[in-house]
Amino acid sequence: MSQQNICPEWPEIRREEYRGVYVYAEHDGNSLKDVSLELIGKARQLAVDLDGAEVAAIIIGGTDAMARELVETGADRVIRIVGEGLETYNPVRYSMAIAQVLDKYRPEIVLIGGTKRGRELAAYIANTLKTGITADCTELEIDKASRDLIAIRPTFGGNVLAGIRCPQRRPQMASVRPGVFPKPSRDPTRRGEVISERVDVQDGRMRLVAVERKVERDVADLPPVEKADVVVVGGRGLGSADGFHLLVELARALNGTIGASLMAVRAGWAPHTRQVGQTGKTIRPRVYIGVGVSGAVQHIVGMLESKVIIAINTDRNAPIFRYVDYGVVGDYKEIIPRLIELVKAAPKPTPTEKQPV
Amino acid sequence: MKVVLLTKAAVPNVTAVRIDPKTGTLVREGVPLMINPWDRDAAEFALRLKDRYGGTVMALSMAPPAGKDALESLMGMGVDEAVLVSDRVYAGADTLATAYTLAKAIEKFAPDFDVVVAGEETTDSTTAHVGAQVASWLGIPYIYYAIDAEVNGRSLLVRRYLEDEGLIETYEIDMPVLVSVQKGSQVPRDISLVRKLEAKGRVKTFSNSDLGLPAECVGLRGSPTIVAKVFEAKLPQRKGELFEGPPDEAARWLAAKLREVGVV
Ligand SMILES: Cc1cc2nc3c(=O)[nH]c(=O)nc-3n(C[C@H](O)[C@H](O)[C@H](O)COP(=O)(O)OP(=O)(O)OC[C@H]3O[C@@H](n4cnc5c(N)ncnc54)[C@H](O)[C@@H]3O)c2cc1C
Repeated sequence: MSQQNICPEWPEIRREEYRGVYVYAEHDGNSLKDVSLELIGKARQLAVDLDGAEVAAIIIGGTDAMARELVETGADRVIRIVGEGLETYNPVRYSMAIAQVLDKYRPEIVLIGGTKRGRELAAYIANTLKTGITADCTELEIDKASRDLIAIRPTFGGNVLAGIRCPQRRPQMASVRPGVFPKPSRDPTRRGEVISERVDVQDGRMRLVAVERKVERDVADLPPVEKADVVVVGGRGLGSADGFHLLVELARALNGTIGASLMAVRAGWAPHTRQVGQTGKTIRPRVYIGVGVSGAVQHIVGMLESKVIIAINTDRNAPIFRYVDYGVVGDYKEIIPRLIELVKAAPKPTPTEKQPV
Repeated sequence: MKVVLLTKAAVPNVTAVRIDPKTGTLVREGVPLMINPWDRDAAEFALRLKDRYGGTVMALSMAPPAGKDALESLMGMGVDEAVLVSDRVYAGADTLATAYTLAKAIEKFAPDFDVVVAGEETTDSTTAHVGAQVASWLGIPYIYYAIDAEVNGRSLLVRRYLEDEGLIETYEIDMPVLVSVQKGSQVPRDISLVRKLEAKGRVKTFSNSDLGLPAECVGLRGSPTIVAKVFEAKLPQRKGELFEGPPDEAARWLAAKLREVGVV
């Protein structure tokens, strides 16, 4: 396509100069975010369909141990950005630094973890490079003929999926929420290159002046919602915080943990970190048990890949029953206490006794 | 101070979407339009700046003509002026082209702005892109997930909450600045029906002949991304066994299922 027909604000690019699949590796100073490693795994898969393109990680600051972990998880190359003004996180400086490095290395695809900070950076970086970005993808594929990325994401409030392409511009950018893709295992024999890139971003317009910790009180000392085999999820139908305590008891008896719908989080019965769904966590436990959850699509997309789905709901027409393996129509207040007794009375399964699902 | 409030004035009410019971497919027709709910948090945030520091709030939306009603509602909340940019050539815009159009409209209708306030994301597309992209087009600093702000000389002190890290950070940012407001963080004031009625006919509507943007920079043509396909999620096969009966039996039935699955 000739430059005449495209927006004069977009710099002219040559698509074929752009090669490689890059991941922005986020960390908190101590360790890498899991989502960054999940994306390295996905990048490796995409690289196969791009004739073995290079997989690289871009990290600001970070440690030698983090660089090693990125390599052992699948990166061929780690680009460590260092420079003044990058000692602490700053949306403008971080986005500018990453955009500069991307402009120099010209990857074909850039993946960013959809954490709060990742979402803050991603669109600014894309706009700086005048390229396209697709948010919160749930699947990424390559159209081999065109080498285009097909970024699939829920849209229309999660009711439909859209496959998004960015045929004219490079790099093609996508963000992905934590937990959507599996975290690959480490291979200590993998080798890769670590490069240091000096970037100086002279931008003093915004300064971090204070940080406080605001820990939302958790309902119980149970594992995170994305890290348990059994997740008991409470919704607005519980009616009270007491209802949630009953679910905690059931979760304990099942060696599982607790999750919540957006409405239960809004009611203050559980912290945001336990929210399941489109704007919360994606979980895929062995068993999901939804209690007083109606089954709105925005919730369903966060638990659809659970191996077994169970629901308890008073309304036999509740949408959640369309997605279940086992559903019980009834009042949880009458059913759960009895279920807890039965579960507690049963002999505990040892891991070897567990049946494959 | 001069505050610009960005809003998506006509999003489909995605929770009202129905599934056709016969075909099992989504019924998109007749889904009611509404103001993006998170923009009411942004409006409250903008109006509180005005309450405390004086000045004006101008709401700005790129939307079909149906967006007028939502803008009148915002005026009912206390917004002083409302501008709707609406044109067929803006149709099909992705977030980059949308942000371009909004940034150019800000430069034209509020060149002396101090703060641009945006909602965290929209309920239909949920990308959270447009705020950062408007800041990028305008070349100004930006911050996401704001919960409150104070003016300090020529800068804005913004507190923001990072839900996933459990951290509240405070940034001091030189104005002009774009602030995206954490959804659900405000208690939006009521829409005064009297003021909303007074707003009738006061929403200023402009087309691309007023803005004069190159056709290749707006709408579908100005969008690097295109929707290649739209489809409904394939649901994995489920057993779909339902139990209805006395609670005792229900509990025993469930316990048996949990044993089959191997978690009891
Ligand atoms: C952009 C967007 C993003 C969203 N993201 C998410 C998300 O990430 N996660 C999420 O969960 N939601 C999300 N939502 C909200 C979603 O649309 C629903 O509003 C929400 O999931 C409903 O929560 P609920 O099922 O707890 O409540 P309700 O829909 O109110 O359902 C309560 C259910 O409890 C049942 N019930 C009542 N009493 C009892 C009883 N005694 N025993 C058993 N059952 C009982 C009722 O029959 C009902 O089915 C999002 C919405 C939008 C627009």
